[in-house]
Amino acid sequence: MKKVKEAGYEEKFFHKLLKSEDLKKEEKILGSFFKKPAWWMIESIKKNLPNFKNTSLAKCKIFKKSTGRKNECLQNLYRAIRKAKNTKQVQQFICPNNISGFCAPIIQGDKIYGYIGLCHLDAKIPAKPLGLFTNFISVLVKDIQKELELSKLYETIRPRAIALSTVHTIHRLISSTLDLEELLPRIARLCMQVMQANRCSVKLLDKERGVLRPVTTIDLRTKRKLYPKELKVGRGVPGKAVKTGRVLKSANFLSVPLIDEEETVGVITIYDKINHKSFTPFDQEIMMTIAEQAVIAIKNAKLYKEQEDLAISSIKSLATILDTRGQAAFIPRTAFVKIVIAIGKEMGLTQAETRSLHGAALLHDAGQIFVPDEILSKPSKLTGEEYRLIKEHPAKGAGMLEPTKYLKPVIPIILHHHENYDGTGYPNKLKGNQIPLGARIMAVVSAFLAMVTPRSYRITRTIEEAKEEIGRNSGTQFDPKVVSAFLKIIEQKEIRDIIEEEYSHGSDQAPKGSDIF
Amino acid sequence: MDLTKLLKDQIYFKIVNFFHENPASIDTPRGVAAWTGETKNDSKRALSKLAHLKILTAHRVSSTTAYSFTRDSKLIKKIKAALKKGG
Repeated sequence: MKKVKEAGYEEKFFHKLLKSEDLKKEEKILGSFFKKPAWWMIESIKKNLPNFKNTSLAKCKIFKKSTGRKNECLQNLYRAIRKAKNTKQVQQFICPNNISGFCAPIIQGDKIYGYIGLCHLDAKIPAKPLGLFTNFISVLVKDIQKELELSKLYETIRPRAIALSTVHTIHRLISSTLDLEELLPRIARLCMQVMQANRCSVKLLDKERGVLRPVTTIDLRTKRKLYPKELKVGRGVPGKAVKTGRVLKSANFLSVPLIDEEETVGVITIYDKINHKSFTPFDQEIMMTIAEQAVIAIKNAKLYKEQEDLAISSIKSLATILDTRGQAAFIPRTAFVKIVIAIGKEMGLTQAETRSLHGAALLHDAGQIFVPDEILSKPSKLTGEEYRLIKEHPAKGAGMLEPTKYLKPVIPIILHHHENYDGTGYPNKLKGNQIPLGARIMAVVSAFLAMVTPRSYRITRTIEEAKEEIGRNSGTQFDPKVVSAFLKIIEQKEIRDIIEEEYSHGSDQAPKGSDIF
Repeated sequence: MDLTKLLKDQIYFKIVNFFHENPASIDTPRGVAAWTGETKNDSKRALSKLAHLKILTAHRVSSTTAYSFTRDSKLIKKIKAALKKGG
């Protein structure tokens, strides 16, 4: 193997020397002192002696016509080459036609790469110009060596540097999401791209059942959805990789267990390179690095999901407690949440912002737990003191939820959902964009549902009347952009159906818990 | 899309050639700029256009957008031919 590489190197070296513009210039300068100079260059002699077929010597009259003289000439050249080889010095000679020539070894250290020579000289070349020429060859050899070394370094380092940069980019891409449903297909697609493979499957380990659960399988050769089956640990390639905790590699698959310290999370298996080549040890190295990053990302996403589930359970429990309280100011929760979320999406909120809005919609009146039932259910006008207590509920609700870290983004929405766009609301009389967008959205939906919800102490408005009222207050009580999104959303059949269904239960019925989470 | 015309622009040629030679690569505008010797901003603009033309796939996340070469074999053949003409 080493010999093949070396031979390739010598070939490249000699080719570069042959094509060297600097050498051509030098040959021209030195040749200009003679009538018909004939330059030749041959690679280092291994077994067979050179025949000079592809050199300018082939045009020489002696070479062309006379076999006897040609042999004599060749012997003469061989002697000079052998001598140059043994002495590693330039050798001058006289050919059968009494014409001078020289042969210089192309040498670097102990290594002879070939020989360069000049024939058809009118006279022997003086030592000084010959010395200059051999020096020039020595410098040229060094330059070519450097160039080849650099090129070799470039060829070796560049693909690795590109691969390293790719691995770094993959790390950024997979660590930027905490959503397992988004993360796992992303890992699969990135692995397929990096390995240039046709298929990838990611399986997660179900320790209790001792099986690998397929979570993502992508095959670029088919458009139909794949439904891979569960695999027992120890069965099949992925099962064996997990059982042994080692990478399994063959020509057409590479299975890498996802192991973090001692815990196995799952396995990534890629199949069939698009160029039908085999997976290489380099592929294995890259996949192992990606797998290490994938394990961390998967574990983080799982942890986040557990925390989120815990937080959602808390929100649901709290919402259920609130729902069990008789609230005269009850607004149908399902309709409220759905309309709020629909407006949020219409206004381009991100997934995280929508999640916060969702939590806030469920808990926006959590602070009413501090308001006595008789005030909440009072059918007549509230006294000043009673109204003051009611106005405290956003701040009390926010304060109550404050210790829950997960609800941090929810709190400002709850705190300010009774602010008015023109600054006339409470608790802080915030104006315009000072009010969190979620709170501005909830203000509109809350007012709308309050108008259309039947109450014993006032006339219920129709949806159209309520819409008109909301429109009239756009720019004063409500954010015009939110109103515009609301008016669009409220026309949707799905939303109308939800409102319809909620009111078919009657206003005095306790609201149903939301199933949105 | 006239690929040959597009690849007459050096930055597009360099970027497409880079991904054609390194189809397994996934990189950000900063990385691509380093490999092609172009500026980050110019690379960003060109990468965005190439993604729009489906020559590259954009992987968008909150902190950055990474790009990788198309997996469409027919398009890759066209790209190869256009690069040959452009080169």
